[in-house]
Amino acid sequence: MSEQKITEKGKSSVQQITENENTTSRRKFLTQAAATTVVASGAAVASSNLPPNVPSWQRTLGKPVNTNPYGQPSKYESDVQRRRVPWLTPDSIASISFTPLAEIKGMISPNGLAFERDHGGLPTIDPKQHRLMIHGLVEKPIILTMDDIQRFPNVSRIHFIECPANSAMEWKGPQVGRLQFTHGMTNCCEWTGVQLKHILKEVGVKPEGKWILAEGADSASMSRSIPMEKALDDTLVVFGQNGEALRPENGYPLRLLTPGWEGNTSIKWLRRLEITAEPSYQREETSKYTDLIAPRDKNKQDLVGKAYMFSYIMEAKAIITFPCPEKPLKDHGKYVMNGLAWTGTGKIKHVDISLDGGINWQEAELNGLVLDKCWTRFSFAFEWNGEELLIQSRATGEDGYVQPTIEQLREARGVASIYHNNCIHTWRISKNGEVESVQV
Amino acid sequence: MVRWKVYKFKLLVASVTTLLISACSSNNEATAVKVDKSTTKTIVNSILPSAHAATYEQISITAEGFKLGKPASNEEIAGWHIEVGHGHNLPPGEGTAADGEEMFETLCASCHGSFGEGVGRNPVLAGGEDTLTDRQKPERTVGSYWPYASTLLDYTHRAMPFNSAQSLSWDDTWSISAYVLYLNDIIEDEDFVFNAESYHDITMPNENGFIIKDKEADTSNTRCMKDCKDPKSITIKTALLGYGSGAEDVVEETAVVEGHELGQKIYDATCRLCHGTGLAGAPKVEDRVTWEHRLQEGINKVYKHAIDGYSGQYGVMPPKGGNLELTDEEVKAAVDFMIKDVK
Repeated sequence: MSEQKITEKGKSSVQQITENENTTSRRKFLTQAAATTVVASGAAVASSNLPPNVPSWQRTLGKPVNTNPYGQPSKYESDVQRRRVPWLTPDSIASISFTPLAEIKGMISPNGLAFERDHGGLPTIDPKQHRLMIHGLVEKPIILTMDDIQRFPNVSRIHFIECPANSAMEWKGPQVGRLQFTHGMTNCCEWTGVQLKHILKEVGVKPEGKWILAEGADSASMSRSIPMEKALDDTLVVFGQNGEALRPENGYPLRLLTPGWEGNTSIKWLRRLEITAEPSYQREETSKYTDLIAPRDKNKQDLVGKAYMFSYIMEAKAIITFPCPEKPLKDHGKYVMNGLAWTGTGKIKHVDISLDGGINWQEAELNGLVLDKCWTRFSFAFEWNGEELLIQSRATGEDGYVQPTIEQLREARGVASIYHNNCIHTWRISKNGEVESVQV
Repeated sequence: MVRWKVYKFKLLVASVTTLLISACSSNNEATAVKVDKSTTKTIVNSILPSAHAATYEQISITAEGFKLGKPASNEEIAGWHIEVGHGHNLPPGEGTAADGEEMFETLCASCHGSFGEGVGRNPVLAGGEDTLTDRQKPERTVGSYWPYASTLLDYTHRAMPFNSAQSLSWDDTWSISAYVLYLNDIIEDEDFVFNAESYHDITMPNENGFIIKDKEADTSNTRCMKDCKDPKSITIKTALLGYGSGAEDVVEETAVVEGHELGQKIYDATCRLCHGTGLAGAPKVEDRVTWEHRLQEGINKVYKHAIDGYSGQYGVMPPKGGNLELTDEEVKAAVDFMIKDVK
């Protein structure tokens, strides 16, 4: 495969595509998105640094220790970043950025790369002036400071977060031809915080309190109703992310975490919890984040035009992160396919791989930790000698649920449902090793 | 319930030296830490007099609660307790669609359109009736989709206008909400007084359109491993080769409007928030007089202020409208779009 041309400003093609979308026609965007590939390294390596020569960096003294008091990635990794799809949202404030899944090296998304969905922009919150109010159907309404919250017993747990709009652009057909954009509305971090049940104990929930309205301190006052059952189960009030304070994009200084559920229920910048008897029917659980369905299934025609509400659980999903459009195959020979799988119902039990568009399947290996409601790595070794392949991955949860095909989802919900598209995804590997997002 | 291990350990002054050392080392015996005994003794004496060599015990923290935080007063709760529930927690005040019309035009129409039709990709608020069964392009508007009017009151007050959340009084909220319902023919009389009492006279057309999704999945794939489908049944759909009309619809729904100039797209996405409304002293697009005045100092100065930002007697312009992802050329294109009728 020929090396990718480096574009004029030295930026990668994907940057050009996203940043310059406005100068690019839709057709051109789709063409480039599906056809271009990025080769981050190997472009202009000075041969004087290769054997038998001693590299220049070995012959000069390095920078002082602590040159970057808050460490930064190598400058050669500058292409690894969250990106937006500029035309996806009406503005850049109530918008979303995507995790570069092709560049994730393990089961954790680094804090600077963890996708971000803001409904009213990114607030700048002084933790000294941040408060969590808990009131409603309680014996004793209270206000907690950040110091108070960190005096409760705390736990660290690794969980994924996924926006229910992940893969939403693909209901009618493949549209955004890069892994970052087809599946990047997810992250997985180690979250440190207090189990909500401990905090609820402080206020004394009255018997009629069955729901909790969680509300953020952003300009959207982003809000969702959470059933008490979930609150008392595994919901956390989180202040730590991958060993440091939450990043602003992920809710600094305090957020809710409802493991395995729609990402937007893990309210960021958490300021208020109100115990209620009924759901509060917020905009984000009536107008948005509901699933309008039009099943093709003949036995479900009475459901056409109805909408699922409170469809909280993010169901099982697996995606191959190498090869992918951003990471094509370069030479013939042996490869290890890598990917990530997760389910909001528990642990991943199996991931299966098909190379022929879903006719035959073989079980992949699960690598490393297999945790509850957490990204799980999988791998599959194969040899490629230039044949066209249609590669797919299919997750099965410990509950027995098997990730559906896009056709099965369309049978159940039609094509205009927006959220909760967890279909088996297909990458087509062409003879020259390029990878394209397709549907079969 | 978390079970907390209970540790008891007695601290005797004589053993504190050992404890201090072992705290610094994982292996007490192999420690390389050298301790000056006389110094250690002095420190120990000063921080832990023998009279306080008491028994410490890790407490059970789940039994009684932590008693952290301070009680929330009614006044504090009232300031933050903003949500409006369906039929309860309804706010005070009232308004009519007639009252709301002018406010809507001033505060809302730049994004949502004068008739709630939506500008650019901003939410459409009105219309779409009987489209929910459309398999390709259902229109989810306040009138066609939202189950409860309380959500409209709640969200309007909570998060709108987009650039100044929680700035509307409850009277304004009732008025604007009444006007949005009026645009949807749900309130038919523009003088209908919308308030906590008359709220119950309103029925949203799609109130019964929602189903609580049970925990059972609505698909049931099987873990087939061999010969799972007929190879001849496989057709490959790509964005490039086309997916019939479907792919076109997706694009139309989620995105780019063909034929838009670059400048207008940038304007819609970044500039309109202020230049559509006059926020922060921003000249509105149609305000030719102000633009002509600004242009007296030359177009390059206008470009410069747009790119680098401006703060002064006329107001505040954040660099690149706050969207630093834009290139200078894109900002200039947006400026050109805004002044196209002036030049």
